[in-house]
Amino acid sequence: MKKGPNTVLMTWLLVLLGGLLWNAALFAAPLLRQEAPVVSAMIYAAFSPVCHQIPERSFFFRGFPLAVCGRCLGIYLGFSAGTILYPFLHRFSRPFLPATSIFVLVSLPIGLDTAGNFLGLWTSPIGLRLAAGLVWGSVLPFYLITGLYEVLRLFSGNFRLKSPGQTN
Amino acid sequence: MNDHKPNMLAPALIGGAVAGVLSGIPFLNCFCCLWIIGGAVLASYLLAKDSPVSLTSGDGAIVGALAGISAAVVDSLVGIPLHGLNVAVMRRMMERLSEFADEMPSGWENWLDRTGGGVSIAMFFMGLFISAAVFAALGALGGIIGTSLFGKKKAQGAEIAH
Repeated sequence: MKKGPNTVLMTWLLVLLGGLLWNAALFAAPLLRQEAPVVSAMIYAAFSPVCHQIPERSFFFRGFPLAVCGRCLGIYLGFSAGTILYPFLHRFSRPFLPATSIFVLVSLPIGLDTAGNFLGLWTSPIGLRLAAGLVWGSVLPFYLITGLYEVLRLFSGNFRLKSPGQTN
Repeated sequence: MNDHKPNMLAPALIGGAVAGVLSGIPFLNCFCCLWIIGGAVLASYLLAKDSPVSLTSGDGAIVGALAGISAAVVDSLVGIPLHGLNVAVMRRMMERLSEFADEMPSGWENWLDRTGGGVSIAMFFMGLFISAAVFAALGALGGIIGTSLFGKKKAQGAEIAH
């Protein structure tokens, strides 16, 4: 059965679509603040458990802050950028996890920046927060696509109907 | 997923509880999604610790998503007693926002007063459902990262391939 590349393609499309919707929601919150305040408030509320949403640390769109701070925006935009780059780097062959050294390397800027700001050693400008988030976020789809691919493969294997005479 | 692998529920609940408590405390939420991803990494670590065989990234995704869902439940429960504090924080944030924003929507103070009075059951479950979806996605990511860091087992000097 030819399931490998098709499953990878499907997984990639799911992650791409999910990432784009996620990012669209970040911009929809300020965009709908005047026209649909209830929907806008719901989007802000949905992201509030995963982001402090402090206005001074957020980018503004149409006069209102985005649904997440600059660093989180960087992570999510980096995620979508990494997803778009994925086929050029991995093609649609069987996905595999990045090396630990790569993860450590891309985590260093965001780790140092977050720790430094939290400890009061320095206050990073929002552009630097965005950049650190972009770097870290760009590697994340390589993890999610691999994991989701495994899950989809598992479930498609469990629920696939066997044709007569098929042993496995 | 595999007979040799331990149950995912306990690691997911522990990781989720840690993430949910930490992300529910107003001051500590300055770490954004780190707590959810960190809690899922913890769940993945606990699963790997008890597993005699290597974990796949699929195992990590499932245990991480479960940890994310339990974190959403814990976060919501922690949020009930802290609701008044959260509204006060939100009010300060909205006041600061009004200095930054060009024009605030009319009646935003009343919206805060409505939410300040308490949370309805319907709103609670709706918020929980949305949080669970967001937390599960981030948790899955953390779980996969966790398996990449802790999921491989070495048997008799040789590394078992996934």
